[in-house]
Parts: sequence; C-alpha cells; structure tokens
Amino acid sequence: MEAQEFKVPIGPQHPALKEPISLRMTLEGEIIKDADIRLGYNHRGIEKLAESRTYIQNIYLTERICGICSHSHTTCFVQGVERLMEIEPAKRGIYIRTLVCELERIHSHLLWLGVAGHEAGFDTFFMYTWRDRELVMDILEIISGNRVHYAMNTFGGVRRDLDELQIKKCLDYLEILKKRTEYYANIGTNEPTFVARLVGVGKLPKEKAMELCAVGPTLRASGIPRDVRKDDPHAAYGEIPFEVCTADTCDVLGRVIVRVKELFESYKMCEYILKNLPPGDIKVKVPRKVKPGEVVSKYEAPRGENIHYIKSNGTDKPERLKVRAPTLGNYAATIYMLKNGFIADIPLIFAAIDPCICCAERVISLVDAKTKKEQIMTMAELRKFSIEFYKKNPPKKEVIWPF
Amino acid sequence: MKEIEVVEKIKDNLKQKVLEITNPAPRRIFLKVDKKDLVEAIDFLKKNFNFYHVSTISGVDLGENFEILYHMANENCVLTVRTLTPRNDPKVPTITGVIPGATLYEREIQDMFGIKVEGHPNPVRLLLADDWPEGEYPLRKDWKFTRPEEKIPGGK
Repeated sequence: MEAQEFKVPIGPQHPALKEPISLRMTLEGEIIKDADIRLGYNHRGIEKLAESRTYIQNIYLTERICGICSHSHTTCFVQGVERLMEIEPAKRGIYIRTLVCELERIHSHLLWLGVAGHEAGFDTFFMYTWRDRELVMDILEIISGNRVHYAMNTFGGVRRDLDELQIKKCLDYLEILKKRTEYYANIGTNEPTFVARLVGVGKLPKEKAMELCAVGPTLRASGIPRDVRKDDPHAAYGEIPFEVCTADTCDVLGRVIVRVKELFESYKMCEYILKNLPPGDIKVKVPRKVKPGEVVSKYEAPRGENIHYIKSNGTDKPERLKVRAPTLGNYAATIYMLKNGFIADIPLIFAAIDPCICCAERVISLVDAKTKKEQIMTMAELRKFSIEFYKKNPPKKEVIWPF
Repeated sequence: MKEIEVVEKIKDNLKQKVLEITNPAPRRIFLKVDKKDLVEAIDFLKKNFNFYHVSTISGVDLGENFEILYHMANENCVLTVRTLTPRNDPKVPTITGVIPGATLYEREIQDMFGIKVEGHPNPVRLLLADDWPEGEYPLRKDWKFTRPEEKIPGGK
C-alpha cells in the first residue's frame, strides 16, 4: 500500500508558557517530513505592558513571564537595570541571588527528568524525581517563603536574608537530594530499556545546533561547551567553581546526561555558596530614575540562554524591554529534530527541549490528506500510542549508559 | 580575543561601512551599520569572529525611524549590530541566508513592528492571530490598546 501523506496540527493552547505553540506536521506514514510553527496563542503583551510600568513594578511583571524559571527572568532584568543605574549590588545579596538561581535549576531539572521518564514510559522514575523535587521546593520555601514566585530579587541585592538555622536546614536537604540523584543515575545504568528508548532519538548534529542557534542543554548535548555562566559571568558565577557539562551523543540521551551532570554541579555550587556566604548587607540603596542608556543582559536559565534588552530614557519607566526566553531559541532546532523522525517520538523530542508542553493535556488532530477526515488525539493518547508503538517495535538492545 | 581587538579589526576591515562602534561595558560591543551593508557585516562577523549565534532581534520605535538590533554572541562577547529603517517605508534584508536560526526572530519583528523582511523564506505570521487586522503593529509607540465594546449575545 502506498504511504499516505498526513497533516498533523499540534497545539495550540498551553497555559504555562510564554510561548504556547502550534506545530503543523506533514507525515508520510509514520515519518515526519516537514513541520511548521505558529506561536502567540497566549501572547500576553508583556513587552508592551512593561513600557507603561515603573522599574520596580517590572521586576514583578518579569517574574510572571514563566512559572518554572521565574527567578531567571527577574535576575536577568535586575542585573541589566543595575548596570544602567551604574550601581554595585551588595555582595551577600548577589550570593543569595545565585543560590536561588541554582536551586531553581535543580528543581527545573528534576521536574524535567521526571517528564522525560514519563514520556519514555518509565513512570517509576517520574514518581521518584517528583517526590524529591518537593525537597528542593521546601528549601526554596525556607529561603523565600514561596514555592513558585520567590520574589527574592530587587535592585541592588535581594529582599530576604538567610540565618544560620536556614543554612543548616538547606545543607541537610541538599545532602539527601545528592544521595537520591546518585541513586537515579544508577537506576539509569541498570535500566537498559530506558537508555535504549532515548538513544538516537531527536538527532541534532553539532553544525546544525550552531547554525540554528540552539541554546542551553540542547546545545551542550550536541557537544558545544557554551554556557552563559562561564562565557559571560554574571551574579556570583565568576567566583564560584563549576564545570560546563556537555555530551556528544547529540540526541535525547545526551540531553538527559547533560541535565543529570548539571544537577551534581548545582548541588556543589549550592553547598559552596551556603558555606562561603559573605557577611554584610543584602542590598544597597538605588535611585528611582534610570539614566538614558541601553543594556544587553544575559542569563543562563535552566533551559538555556535568556536575554533581555533594556533601553531607558531617563524616567522611572523603561523605553523598551525585549525578552527572549530560551524556549523560543530552541524552536528552530526542534523543527529540525522532528524532521525524519517517528510520530511516536514527538512527545519525547518535545520534552527534551524542556518547553513544559507535555505537562498539560493537549489536543492533536490527525487530518487525512486525501479524505480530509480528522481524528482527534489528546497528548495522553499520543503518549499511549508511542508506548504501544515501541512495544511492537522493540528498540535496539545492548546500549550502555555512558557514565 | 579581547573586545578591543575585535573592535579594531572591525574598524580596519569594514572601514567606512562602520557608522559607529562602541564598547560601553565589558563583553559588550555595539556596532551601527547602514541597512544595505547589514548582511555583509553579519557575514563578515560570522566568518572572522565566530559570531554564529543570534540571540534575538529587537526592534525599537524611535519615532521617525525604527531601530533594529541583532544581538549576536560568540564565546567572549555579545555584539549588537544595529541599523535604522525609515518609518514610512520599513524594510530590512533577511539574514537567514547567513544565519538560518534567525528565521523566527525575523518573523516576530515583522509581526510586531510591521517591518518587512525582504527575502525571508517563509514570511507568514508567527505571533499575531489570523484575524488580526492588517496594518496594526502592537509594539509601535503610537499603537494603543482599546478594549472592544462587549456585546452579550441575547442581552439588551
């Protein structure tokens, strides 16, 4: 029988992201031949809104761009405005800011590992990592009083200090987390089906990753050691020892490895910060108005490079605030990864760039190109389909976990 | 390579095409070029200094003109190439021939500022809805949001 061509629209609605996404894919049998992208289904006009808010109000506005990397956007914005104000933020404040950055990375990566396990049909992994993610959420609650929008950043430093008891509690929790993460790395080694499901899926060769301007763990999994924390040290990253984690498998497995390695680096960094917290004030006094000027501020969010361009005009409101969240940077590369892959790999490849698209039920309609008949499939059904598909077509065995 | 060396080399090679080049902060360079030299400048930067990564493209409404900023990055610094285009005929050439990863950012600029990107491989809307009226560009300074009057079906 001749292979029929299908058009598959994926999306468009997703409440958790700045960029919910609609993908229209052309299929030939099970193989994706082409993909096109449409965004803006939940565009909230934050860039326009920021022009009519004061700088202080904008801290809390940028915090609400994303739920998972809420601290990333405020840090990026705050350090840009600090540079425009020409002030040197308080050192203790900077260290606490960096601590929250790394804790956020831990919680985001643990969440991601769970999602990856879930999409690969390994739900035990998902349950385990999400249980332990609660520990890091507790640490964040101890530090800031909040689980999601920490509201820690302000111009010149942070808003809340840490005392001895909090530091001790955080260190205890980190110790537990470290042990558990080591355990998961071991589970991965002893679970060949999990590794076999991830290997070779969503290939992104090195040259393509560079050409398509991929960012974050997606880029590093293609063997390119680019990390804003090292290339353009902001906050306290210039003073804290850490390594840039890369993998050279260029597939979803590589993205898992990069994130697991980054978890261990983040634990080390958190411990270093907690043990070497400099004394002194947590913030300095800042002017309300900002001199005319412009600044490009970069930050390594859990998902990759986050960039804010801020232009000031001498008043207490910015002239222009441009925000580019890391997920948008990875979309061009995602389209490439999807091409020539299986329809059953869509959830996994999507999950691999960490767009938090898979955490919600999404509707997919399959359109038969010849009869124009539509078949509606939710993300859960698609996931079930993908697991069934791989049960029937067992992935190759004898793949080794590269730790 | 240090930023100062990069600045000197750009000055030497692009000569009068460089309208302005500044280095206001560590690891930050701002370069201004004319619209017609844009693609050449970006190609030169990519080939000689490994600026293969376009972080994003920002647009700013300056009144008479629109300013378009291409934020490029390599291992050491962030280089912003800026160019101007007049408000009454806003057009820029595409850079996707040099850097394919810029495709979505160009579509975003096209939607939000109404700046036509000439030669873009797929210049359809990215962010705005299909039923968004023609000729309305939300990030222009003169665009103001007015909430449409609410009509309740079957109401008074």
